Amino acid sequence: MNNVTQIVRKVRQAPWRVQRQWIGLFLLGLVLMAMVAGIYLNVTVRATLAGRETIGLQAMITTNQRVNADLETQLAGLISIGSMQKRAEAMGFQPADPTNITFVAVPGYTGHSAVDLSIPSGNQPEAPIILPQYTESWFDYFLNQQASSNLPGGQP
Amino acid sequence: MKRLTHAWRYLTSAAILATLGIAILVQIVRIQGSPEVASVIDQGNYVWKDFYPPRGEIYDRNGNLLAGNKTVYEVGLDMTAKPDMQTVMLALQMSGFDLNEVNYRISQVPNAQYVVLDDFVSAEKADQLMALQKVAHGDPTGKNLDAIYFKAHYGRSYPENDLASNLLGFVTEDNHGYMGVEEKYDNILAGIPVRIAVPADPRRATEYPTIPPGQTIILTIDREIQASVENILDQALKNTGAISGTIIVMDPTTGEILAMSSTPRLNLNDYQSIKTVFPGETPFNRAISQAYEPGSVSKILTMASALDSGVVKQDTITFVPESIVVGGFKIYNWDGGAWGYQDMTGCLANSLNVCLAWISDKEMGSASFYSYMQRFGLGHATGIDLAGEASGRLKLPGDSDWTPVELGTNAFGQGVSVTPIQMVMAASALANNGQMVYPHVLYAQIQDGKQSNTKTQIVGTPISATTAHTISDMLANALETESSTALVPGYRIAGKTGTAQIPLPSGGYDQNNVNTSFIGWGPVDDPRFLVYIWLEKPQTNKAASVVVAPIFKQVVEKLVVLLNIPPDAIRLQMIGR
Repeated sequence: MNNVTQIVRKVRQAPWRVQRQWIGLFLLGLVLMAMVAGIYLNVTVRATLAGRETIGLQAMITTNQRVNADLETQLAGLISIGSMQKRAEAMGFQPADPTNITFVAVPGYTGHSAVDLSIPSGNQPEAPIILPQYTESWFDYFLNQQASSNLPGGQP
Repeated sequence: MKRLTHAWRYLTSAAILATLGIAILVQIVRIQGSPEVASVIDQGNYVWKDFYPPRGEIYDRNGNLLAGNKTVYEVGLDMTAKPDMQTVMLALQMSGFDLNEVNYRISQVPNAQYVVLDDFVSAEKADQLMALQKVAHGDPTGKNLDAIYFKAHYGRSYPENDLASNLLGFVTEDNHGYMGVEEKYDNILAGIPVRIAVPADPRRATEYPTIPPGQTIILTIDREIQASVENILDQALKNTGAISGTIIVMDPTTGEILAMSSTPRLNLNDYQSIKTVFPGETPFNRAISQAYEPGSVSKILTMASALDSGVVKQDTITFVPESIVVGGFKIYNWDGGAWGYQDMTGCLANSLNVCLAWISDKEMGSASFYSYMQRFGLGHATGIDLAGEASGRLKLPGDSDWTPVELGTNAFGQGVSVTPIQMVMAASALANNGQMVYPHVLYAQIQDGKQSNTKTQIVGTPISATTAHTISDMLANALETESSTALVPGYRIAGKTGTAQIPLPSGGYDQNNVNTSFIGWGPVDDPRFLVYIWLEKPQTNKAASVVVAPIFKQVVEKLVVLLNIPPDAIRLQMIGR
């Protein structure tokens, strides 16, 4: 029996060794938690910055729309019928009457048509696009990264 | 041994701390997962913001902006910042604000944290105040203007000021359209304001949903024609002493209104002066809102009806005495004289009341006559897409106030009231192969970048194409026979003058004043324009042939240039090629 106890004591690690292992494990856990917290903090900060930028851009869009409207109205004022008539008169022009006009037949000319203000399909503003990185799961992200790195050329 | 004795204390402490830790963790999870708590948190994290879309723009048919938007400001004062009121008032005065108005606004909300000092402040005025704010910023004595806030938003702007004002209407500070196009199309121009919960937490910031702006619309109006017509009308009022006037130009094949002018006109950027410009019951747009007895211009409808019903032909000859009895009353010619034998062109050329009363009373009869008048749309609003249209009045047999003599007087445009636009619509049938078109001012609307054009609507075919050609030909011949001052060299025009007595509210007719009108279209073989002119109570002369016919000529001379209409000979030569 005494022999068995002696063997156990010899095989069993020294207490300071056990303590160090526990401390090591604890520190490992702490480091892991710190890493997770760091990543979380990083993501949060980036999301906050992106959010602030979004708010700033929204304000800029609104301001630009108003400035555009202002400029459009100012331009319309500059080329209004009253302004144009004054400028034309100042340049020595005068209104034409039927006797001043010479009509020339132009084959294929169908006459002046009213304005078309529709936006050509190529110039239509695109719908807001949210990049997949903002919506996909970690699993999808890594899968996509893997898939894109396997493509010829390597880069997504 | 001692260590073992106290071991339970350590274990108990560890257990308590562990329990506390677990409890905290459980609580964290519970709070995070609780929908009630989440909703409370969300309430504080979101701010409700109202977004007003910019009002849709209005263009003329050539893409010239008639109504747009500009930046204006709401100027407010943060009372919690304890501003130095003397400095604020001085700055406001220097920037041109009405201090009485400002003081009134402040007095209305004595304990408010924020007071709106003025709204719809022009950019120039706001810029001036902003510059003062910048200068005063950081004043060591504390007399700064930092408590003044500027909130930019849209306001309506009319670059052409009073051009086409009677047709456009205006927008008030509450973003509602009044009169004309602005009122008629208020729903689509204004867009739909949207209320959005904007997260206060920037981590949750997302792109705002796209707020569709008000729809842009394009009018059938041609700015150049409109301006020319307005100039001609202004000059005509000055020359004739008429108290008001109206000119409408329409494409008789499509119903597109190319110009519509009425007096007085309002600078739409200063719509607040409406009560001064339009005192009392003055109609905003006489072309659609003021019904009157049109007089002889209405004879074209009577003659067209008679020709179409077959009771007379172009070459039918009748004896025209000095008077005719209808419903027990004597009806006289305009000069009170007898005109002997006349064909139907002669009846129109000489504008003989007796001849037209004979047609309606003796040849057509009331059933046929009034049936045609109704088919021409008299007595009913045309439905033109402008706010404030009046319907006029066509009394019919069976109405309590209809008398038999009106069958005779209605034939030459007395005893019946119409608006100018009603006459234009009715006459479009004569100019457009018998097909009457719906008059409209909306050429197209733009939605999601796509333009959808208004289609031509035929509202009826009161007469046949043959009748329409015949009456046009007769009217053109009539103008040529009488060497009318309405004629434009090189162009064949159909037209008719109208001099009408004005009924008095007390009964009877005004002996001193008349209404003078002219309706005409051309070129006769391929009409491109239909023009209606009405001058109310001209003073220099009472004959429409003297007063209004030359104005018609001026309008047509402008139209043929602006619409690129070559003289008939050249045009037919071009077609022949």
